[in-house]
Amino acid sequence: MNKTFDRSLSIGMVALCAVFIFESTKMLKGSFGSTIGPGMLPMVLAIVLSLLSLINFYQTFRVKNSDEQKEKLQYKRFFILIGIATLYCLLLEPLGYVISTFLFLFLAFQIMEKGKILNSIIISGVISFGIYYLYVVVMKGTLPGFPEWLGF
Amino acid sequence: MDVFGYLLDGFEVAFTMRNLIFAFIGVLIGTAVGVLPGIGPISGVALLIPVTSSMTSGLSPSDAATSSIILLAGVYYGAMYGGSTTSILLNTPGESSSVTTTIDGYQMAKQGRAGAALSISAIGSFVAGIVALIGLIFLAQPLSKMALNFGPADYFSLMVLGLCAVSGLSGKSVTKALMMTVFGLLIASIGIDVVSGVARFTFGFRQLYSGLEFLTVAVGLFALGEVFKTIIHNEIHSGKLARIEKLLPTKKELKDSAAPIARGSLLGFFMGILPGAGATLASFMAYLLEKKVSKNKANFGKGAIEGVAAPESANNAAAGGALIPLLTMGIPGSGTTAVLMGALVMYNINPGPMLFKEHPDVAWGLIASMFLGNLMLLILNLPLVKVFAKIISTPPKYLIPMIVAISVFGVYAVQVTTFDLILLMICGVAGYFLTKNDYPVAPLVLGLVLWPMIENNFRRALTISNSDYAVFYKEPLSAIFLIIAVLWITIPLLMKLKGKNVIINDEG
Repeated sequence: MNKTFDRSLSIGMVALCAVFIFESTKMLKGSFGSTIGPGMLPMVLAIVLSLLSLINFYQTFRVKNSDEQKEKLQYKRFFILIGIATLYCLLLEPLGYVISTFLFLFLAFQIMEKGKILNSIIISGVISFGIYYLYVVVMKGTLPGFPEWLGF
Repeated sequence: MDVFGYLLDGFEVAFTMRNLIFAFIGVLIGTAVGVLPGIGPISGVALLIPVTSSMTSGLSPSDAATSSIILLAGVYYGAMYGGSTTSILLNTPGESSSVTTTIDGYQMAKQGRAGAALSISAIGSFVAGIVALIGLIFLAQPLSKMALNFGPADYFSLMVLGLCAVSGLSGKSVTKALMMTVFGLLIASIGIDVVSGVARFTFGFRQLYSGLEFLTVAVGLFALGEVFKTIIHNEIHSGKLARIEKLLPTKKELKDSAAPIARGSLLGFFMGILPGAGATLASFMAYLLEKKVSKNKANFGKGAIEGVAAPESANNAAAGGALIPLLTMGIPGSGTTAVLMGALVMYNINPGPMLFKEHPDVAWGLIASMFLGNLMLLILNLPLVKVFAKIISTPPKYLIPMIVAISVFGVYAVQVTTFDLILLMICGVAGYFLTKNDYPVAPLVLGLVLWPMIENNFRRALTISNSDYAVFYKEPLSAIFLIIAVLWITIPLLMKLKGKNVIINDEG
């Protein structure tokens, strides 16, 4: 259990609830003969959630810090992977499915474990082309194709 | 038409070539999902929704829904079969519902009885699957008929009960579980309100008008969340597989496990029906029960076949039982059934009492296909168990980036927006950190799925009663549901205050 996380999340939730409550006060009136407005139930929920968050915040002071596991966490690899995954999401449309997926998989394989470059190239190539071929050519789905400047 | 007539029609649906193939793919992938410790049934099902929706894109909505749900349910109960394989051979449960199997299963493997343990768990799972199906067949109609008489207020309270039950049993802290449930409901209200046409909490973002897509959130929280956990904690399994010598159990082993299988199946089935209980809890309870009734208690923990037979039967029966509240009342009792419900809703088919009336082909087709699916699993699992066990040696180096790529593909194929991909990543990171800090994410998804029905019934109840809020406790059924809901949350709390241990269900 991580008290800092619990506390920050509770505070964040209360802040979020405040925004939701403020927004829902604008929508309390019903329309078309409906007696309750669209903001009604969300407002109740936001109030309940902020109360629960306060209880959760309070509970962090009552629980003793349990023995923190000393485990080596690989945050560096995680952040790098998140970074390239986000880039992959953003570049999916501009670069097209095959190229962006190939690049993502190749880089991700290398981040997970360096070396065996040829293997990585073959596997990422097969997967990116394979999915594109199966989905777009065989199943007639839509995925971003190749960028126009490639001239395909 | 009576039950058997419907069932025969169901078999007609299930025996079409397409549905046979779909069931086969489902149970095959399910077994693989069960074997792999990184992916649970819930993320397996979530990941496959986009794939099935593209596979069925040319079909009529009803046919497409039938085939998809047949495949997705196959993943669900297939995972229950597969989970035991690694528990027995590697002492590493593939799913949380197979944790109890490791206790005696791995011991059996060490004694060279791995084959017997595996075949007994496959046979037990099969029997349990059939027991659950028979229960489903006989309970489905009476339950859905009963649910048809529910008014909107009753429905609203029943759903509140479902949410409370799931929150009360998942996670270490009820407060945290409730927070996640309410948060799920709250973020589900983002988007254009269908009744008034008002844009709620969109803050001017056009992408939010249609709301947060359930599929994106579920894949992110479960599939990516687990992937990130594997990366950060560097969970790479390098255990040695136990050898399988003789596959078939001896006559004595079969005789010894017959009663535990029967007890486990029944117990699991009823635990499955209860919202919030689920397969993990069922397998655990079944193990405890066997230990209590067994004549040779000393054997437990040292390779007792009863300790494998009972929990493995129970988790499979629970998976079948969990479909009952989903199909008959439209109330999912666990994370996985919530995802299944989300899939049905995507096809414009609302599970619930009307399902058996309006779409009997979907409901009965699914039930019939589960008979065939269980049979396929039994046939697949016995000879191919060695092949499946090899799946676990897939290098995580390749597996993890591939899961990310499949998630991105799946979400993009259905949503076709970059916005959803970014939301997917955010949900993945959130899923990891929430789960790590004991905030269960299954209730969040449950809230997200149930919100439209909760709000709809809430409004209808109040419109009928002329805005009199008393309707929720004046209607007897609704009042009973609400009282049970309150008890469900408060009793465990009181028990905890008294210092008693409360069993929780950490199934995804």
